[in-house]
Amino acid sequence: MTDTPVISWRDEDVRGFGMAVGGRAQVLRPTTAEQVAAAFADARARGKAVALRGAGCSYGDAATNNGGLVLDLSHMNRLLDFDPATGVAVCEPGVTVRDLWRRSVAHGFWPRVVSGTMAVSMGGAAAMNIHGKNNFALGSFGECVRSFDLLTPRGELVHCTRASAPDLFHAAIGGFGMLGCMTRLEIETKRVHSGRLRVSAIVAKDIEHNLQILEDMRGEADYLVSWLDLHGKGAELGRGLMHRADQLRPGEDPDGLRFLDPTLQDVPPNLFGVVPKGWLWPGMWAAVHVGQVGLVNWLKFRAGFTEARNSPYLQTHGAFHFLLDYVPRWQWMTKPGGLIQFQPFVPKAEGARVLRAVIEKSQAAGHVPYLGVLKRHRPDPFLMTHAVDGYSLAMDFAVSARKSRRDSLWRLCQELAEIVLAAGGRFYYAKDATLLASSFPRVHGEGAVAAFRAQKAKWDPDRLLQTDLSRRLGV
Amino acid sequence: MGPNAGTCVVVGASSGIGLAVARRLAQSGRKVAMLARRERELMGQVATTNDVLGLQAAWGYVHDVADFAAVEPLFARIEQELGPVDEVHFVAGVMPDVAIDEFDLGKDRQQVEVNMLGCIAWGNAAARRFRERKRGCFVGVSSVAGDRGRVGRPVYNASKAGMDCYLEALRNRLWRHGVQVTTIRPGFVETPMTAGLRLKGAIPADKAAALILRARDRRKAVAYVPGKWWLIMTVIKLIPSFLFRRLSI
Repeated sequence: MTDTPVISWRDEDVRGFGMAVGGRAQVLRPTTAEQVAAAFADARARGKAVALRGAGCSYGDAATNNGGLVLDLSHMNRLLDFDPATGVAVCEPGVTVRDLWRRSVAHGFWPRVVSGTMAVSMGGAAAMNIHGKNNFALGSFGECVRSFDLLTPRGELVHCTRASAPDLFHAAIGGFGMLGCMTRLEIETKRVHSGRLRVSAIVAKDIEHNLQILEDMRGEADYLVSWLDLHGKGAELGRGLMHRADQLRPGEDPDGLRFLDPTLQDVPPNLFGVVPKGWLWPGMWAAVHVGQVGLVNWLKFRAGFTEARNSPYLQTHGAFHFLLDYVPRWQWMTKPGGLIQFQPFVPKAEGARVLRAVIEKSQAAGHVPYLGVLKRHRPDPFLMTHAVDGYSLAMDFAVSARKSRRDSLWRLCQELAEIVLAAGGRFYYAKDATLLASSFPRVHGEGAVAAFRAQKAKWDPDRLLQTDLSRRLGV
Repeated sequence: MGPNAGTCVVVGASSGIGLAVARRLAQSGRKVAMLARRERELMGQVATTNDVLGLQAAWGYVHDVADFAAVEPLFARIEQELGPVDEVHFVAGVMPDVAIDEFDLGKDRQQVEVNMLGCIAWGNAAARRFRERKRGCFVGVSSVAGDRGRVGRPVYNASKAGMDCYLEALRNRLWRHGVQVTTIRPGFVETPMTAGLRLKGAIPADKAAALILRARDRRKAVAYVPGKWWLIMTVIKLIPSFLFRRLSI
């Protein structure tokens, strides 16, 4: 007879990436699927709900569980196999995008879908069904997941593929960790013919111009993303700088082979080769706190003209994709209140009208986002999808430490959500922090929500898996 | 055939410094025979190299350097298939984890066979041909680890020291016949072999490859990669034994 291992959860402050939401929780970091199963059993015995957490990169409350238990899967991070012939990786859920691309790029493959930071985990990326700058072309992260093993709260291990368990496969991907813990994932990557991409910058004078460029280029470009200066008003509302990147063909980049060295892909650690970027956030903090974000945005917009003149240029995949990793701990610039992100997904036909209304309304309310990022999307087959045939605008708001100001920001986001939902828009739970329970069925449709709740009742009837997000939405 | 125009052989070409050297050679327009033990990795890298360049510059040959009898026939086969070889890079190496109180002959033997005897087998096979043709270049990637015997990895040190001494002797034998032998002693380089070690100030494998090919072009006898390791190892070599044995480096 063996003794039942004593599971010791640690009391920690568990927050979203934006630091604005979260709270104390009991945390465990398992390293094997057996330990996850034991943790589920232990949670059940304690009568406490468990939240699954990957790298903690969700901005809001998708991986927090105030007063409850949190299974942090970041130590389950072995990349079990990478096939250099097919580019298929087998990994544990805590393997990060960085771990994956460092392995794959050395073999001439790049992950099909990556986020703006390489810190996110495979489990988190699948559970939130993340997207990248090529969503309009290759779809969401779930579309490059070939299979996964799902450990349900009752301890069953279900191997899921599109064919073997289509309902569970399409509900667990994008199912924000409500149905079980993915303990092993098979991820497809794509062949690249150089360690670099050809990048062009295009200045867009307003929101309509931005949308027009997205429409003009989406048939041929591999990646499209626009940075927006949301301080622009009137004729310049929604002005920004579009970046287009394209894969190179075999033989096109004479120096492309040696850039497959992962070390040459990494984002440079120093500014101008000398200033460690880890020291930059205090300067950015000062810009936020003396109200000079508008000036910083304007300077960046003006610098875009020079960049546009000097493009196209060749850039490594890592340097193009992982803009959020250029300045480590950049989110600290919003301390002490933190930040939230509001990212509406709007159908194409309503794009210009709704995005213009959202930007104008936030400016009028005195909550101007310090960062805006515009992307083009396409629908995907997942049950809790956020994708639409249209656009998304990610807006980063610094949260005030003052309660009245914080409350007014939450109210603003809820009012903006009304505009978006009325136009048939959607939201994305890796970012959301403010959506109301009444909005949940309107995001996905009553039918999809009923189907998701049926899956939840089937695989987790005791509702062991909960997060602050799932309680807020009344899942 | 001018200098540096024939076929190159890179032994240990599926990852790390060997792969980076093979890539730079292929990129510079050379025909490269890439040799390694792990077939899946090697053939993947050969396919990737040719794909990125948009032409065939690399050919893969699965080979275990500890299979000494296979070296001669493989050398002949490569020359038959790709034309005369005038440049060989021996970059194969193993460095198993060894505990501070571990004395495991199995691990020791593997290091001597791969790092030292493997180099000797390929050096001999190249020397016979290059000496006769009065041209050719043999580059052996040794290590700064061969400069002193240290507490951490005694046989890694010994195997690299043996390889290094062999390369010097080979150089002295062959220079009078117009054949170049260059010894490379890399310091910290980011490769799969050193992935778990968190080496501070490690250079990318591609940078190491660039410095190795520069040492080749300058017909160096011995080159530390990067150059600062010459200074570091000169100081370390000067530490008297009675002091060195008390240190943990």
